[in-house]
Amino acid sequence: MRRGRLDPVTVEVMRGGLVYAAEEMGVALRNSAYSPNIKERMDHSCAVFDGKGRMAAQAEHIPAHLGSMPLTVKAALRRFDEGLEPGDMVLLNDPYAGGTHLPDLTLIAPVFRHERLIAYVVNKAHHSDVGGITPGSMAAESSELYQEGLVIPPVKLVVGESVNQDVMELILRNVRTPRDRLGDLRAQIAANRLGAGRILELAERYGAEGLEDAMDRIMGHSKELMQREISKIPEGVYEAEDVLELPREQATLKMAVSIEVEGDHLTMDFTGTDSQVEVPINAPLGVTLAACYYVVKCVTDPTIPSNDGCYRPVSVEVPEGSVLNPKAPAPVAGGQVETGQRIVDVLFRALAQALPDRVPAASQGTMNNVTVGSYDPMTGEGWSFYETIGGGMGARPGLDGIDSIHTHMTNTMNTPIEVIERNYPIRVTRYELRPDSSGAGEWRGGAGTVREWVLTGGTATVSVMAERNSTAPWGLLGGRPGVSGEYWITSKDGTEAKIPSKCTVRLSQGEGLRVLTPGGGGLGAPSRRDRKLVRMDVLSGILSREKARLDYGP
Amino acid sequence: AAGVVASAYLGKKLEVDSILSFDMGGTTAKAGLVVGGEPRMAYECEVGGRVHRGRVVKGSGYPVRFPFVDLAETSAGGGTIAWVDAAGLLRVGPLSAGADPGPVCYNKGGRELTVTDANLLLGRLNSRYLLGGELPLASELSAKAVEQEICEKTGLGVSEAAYGIVRIINSDMSRILRIVSTERGYDLREFAMVAFGGAGPMHACDLAEELGVSRIVVPVSPGLFSAFGLLASSVRHSYVKSIIERQARADPTRLKKWYRELEDEGQAVLGREGFGDREIHLLREMDLRYLGQSYELTVPVRRPMVAKTLRAATLRFHSEHRRTYGYSVVEEDVEIVNLRVTAIGRIPEPPMAKATLAEAEPGADSRVEERNVLFNEEEGFVRSHVFERSTLRPGNVVEGPAVVEQYDATTVINPGWKAEADTSGNIRLVRLA
Repeated sequence: MRRGRLDPVTVEVMRGGLVYAAEEMGVALRNSAYSPNIKERMDHSCAVFDGKGRMAAQAEHIPAHLGSMPLTVKAALRRFDEGLEPGDMVLLNDPYAGGTHLPDLTLIAPVFRHERLIAYVVNKAHHSDVGGITPGSMAAESSELYQEGLVIPPVKLVVGESVNQDVMELILRNVRTPRDRLGDLRAQIAANRLGAGRILELAERYGAEGLEDAMDRIMGHSKELMQREISKIPEGVYEAEDVLELPREQATLKMAVSIEVEGDHLTMDFTGTDSQVEVPINAPLGVTLAACYYVVKCVTDPTIPSNDGCYRPVSVEVPEGSVLNPKAPAPVAGGQVETGQRIVDVLFRALAQALPDRVPAASQGTMNNVTVGSYDPMTGEGWSFYETIGGGMGARPGLDGIDSIHTHMTNTMNTPIEVIERNYPIRVTRYELRPDSSGAGEWRGGAGTVREWVLTGGTATVSVMAERNSTAPWGLLGGRPGVSGEYWITSKDGTEAKIPSKCTVRLSQGEGLRVLTPGGGGLGAPSRRDRKLVRMDVLSGILSREKARLDYGP
Repeated sequence: AAGVVASAYLGKKLEVDSILSFDMGGTTAKAGLVVGGEPRMAYECEVGGRVHRGRVVKGSGYPVRFPFVDLAETSAGGGTIAWVDAAGLLRVGPLSAGADPGPVCYNKGGRELTVTDANLLLGRLNSRYLLGGELPLASELSAKAVEQEICEKTGLGVSEAAYGIVRIINSDMSRILRIVSTERGYDLREFAMVAFGGAGPMHACDLAEELGVSRIVVPVSPGLFSAFGLLASSVRHSYVKSIIERQARADPTRLKKWYRELEDEGQAVLGREGFGDREIHLLREMDLRYLGQSYELTVPVRRPMVAKTLRAATLRFHSEHRRTYGYSVVEEDVEIVNLRVTAIGRIPEPPMAKATLAEAEPGADSRVEERNVLFNEEEGFVRSHVFERSTLRPGNVVEGPAVVEQYDATTVINPGWKAEADTSGNIRLVRLA
């Protein structure tokens, strides 16, 4: 239709159209999905890529998914380098072929107009079970990838508009909850079909060249904006370290980074980070990149449209065989959800030296993954429930951290108690803010969460994958650290036992789990905090009188 | 939302099916879109949420899963207050002086300078009266206020400050117009703007120029246009009964009984509101989903409620699911979630007047005065003709720079625009080149 270079207004219309297409894909996925993790917690992400496999637009979903998607798409396109046909869709979850962890299934669909490839639409959803040694496929004790569940290399789940039944049945036979998986996979297919339709509408209006030109310019624009922002960061080399908790009491793993800011370019080098381990906290490269991109976005201008262009001025170097770029078959279940959070912490810690007025203190630094599952003794049907629990956000320059919320690499909602109790043999007995958990400071960290439930029938396997139980979220500029997390098993007779941050336990009827999530770190000396704010925290019950006196003086 | 409905209705009469609906009153401005002749809907919205620059922040409110007219709003109206912040910057809104005490020029005790005062100082608004003379204005008060409130604190001149206020409020409003269109992937250059509300027609040309819109329609009574939208809609009462039952196990006799109960209630309420039996229309629908899903699709249900119609509704669900999500699974269990009855009381459509065409030149009786009006900074104040709308005849053409005054609104016609009164009494503006 319209030819030649597009005017700026058209480019802006197209950008709106691409982002809205991704948003609408997310709605279609959520509305037709079967498992609460997608329907209620919205643990999924959608994006549009150009014909060369570069991310052109994304919906505001989950940073960990979105940042790793470019590698996922690259891996799928490498596998099918002879080209995909109209109506094909590629499925994959292999962490060593562009995936993140096994429960995240990515589905990629090419969009054709008159036989010409013009774009890809992509969505990624966290399935609450993909097989493996524990229900929910988030085992805390696996020592290699094969124990974590079904590994899916890039395969065509849809061929010429019809579902490849052989692949589908192979998947469904390897998971505990095949009915939900089938429903969720159909929802993923639906989301891509809807997204492809929207992209085609844009191509109808502006022509395939118009669409390609617009995507080029949208990405170029983001690159320029990002370069301008990076130039504002004082030049220099900024270093920091932080640790991950190993299952054995008190043992830790070192993470080190050196960030070099030079003109309008930024390099993040993780040399000095410990080697991969036989514990599921290794982070595949996609996870590491996602965390780096997220941090760059946070400390520059978060309103820059997110796409491939944003990351062109950023290089990331990660030693192969390290915990942040492991080699197969190291287990990875907790890499995205736990290690990803720590990568953010270490990067912020380094950048706080350059940008003290932009970087927050450490947030809870974990997603508190809890997976519960079993078989219904009557029907023999399996069930599995996965959730993550929010905690304290780190204090921000000029603002307190938010209480009990998901931060950084995740952006999920909580599972409503009504939904849990209607679907699973679980009764939630407590869900509240955790008093006295915030790190003190001129600006205090957010409070953690207390969540407690009891198993009302049968037996169940519980897998816990968390962090910051033996270490604590750090404060900045004189702010104190937040309080560490705790996991407790409760039983009918009232006895309680503390369990480690990464473990698997069996529960029977009447037994339950109590989770105390970490509070955020404080920022600035506590003595500088406005007394009125201290008093308000005491009145609201989030801070006890004793702790107030201890932290802020009489 | 009534304004968008009214715009769609007007669009049908004028055979225009892509409309940007722009409503600016005393306190707020609202934007909506009409696509393919129908108001564009959003299928979920959050109430009580935090709004950040016209958009509801996701997750900050309570989600309501119900179709709404997709609307963006900002606190920008004739009564919106202009002020200077601590850093010496000119700001407009979000507070409003409302209608009482209202703008300074109303001389009802208002001391805070408003957008209306700024329009008056720019000559866009009649400086002596509004409402056809019923509301006398005191322009000298506006001038004094702008000097005290703005000029002294910022060093701007009077007309510079007034024009600044109009530009700031316009940029705020162009943002919400973009939210409902550009951000949804629609190209505004393909749309006609319907401008209404007491202040809408005064800002329409400026906004259209900024957004690339080249056609504007100002309806007969801009101030009453939203109310007209309500008249053009029927009275609807919706009733819902939640049952959550597998379709295969549902008993049609029981469903029928429940539908009857909902219908009886709707009929009784409409009866009390004065609708005769022949004006009442009852619509049966059902919300269905595949067992395991959390979101439903609504399908119509025929009468009588027997096993066959229930099966037909289920088939309709499969095809609706296919249309919405691109697939359906006929062998999957379907769950009935809600029974719905909509009781509609039909109101006859309001007639719209039609007349014959007169010559292009407006009659002498239409000319009210000539006055200096500021349209843009480059040209400054320019001598402009002012017309009285009620005496304009269909076919009369007015070229900008000009102003058309009427009882409930003032239409500002920028240089480069041409306005024509059509046979239904609307003013149609077209941008020349």
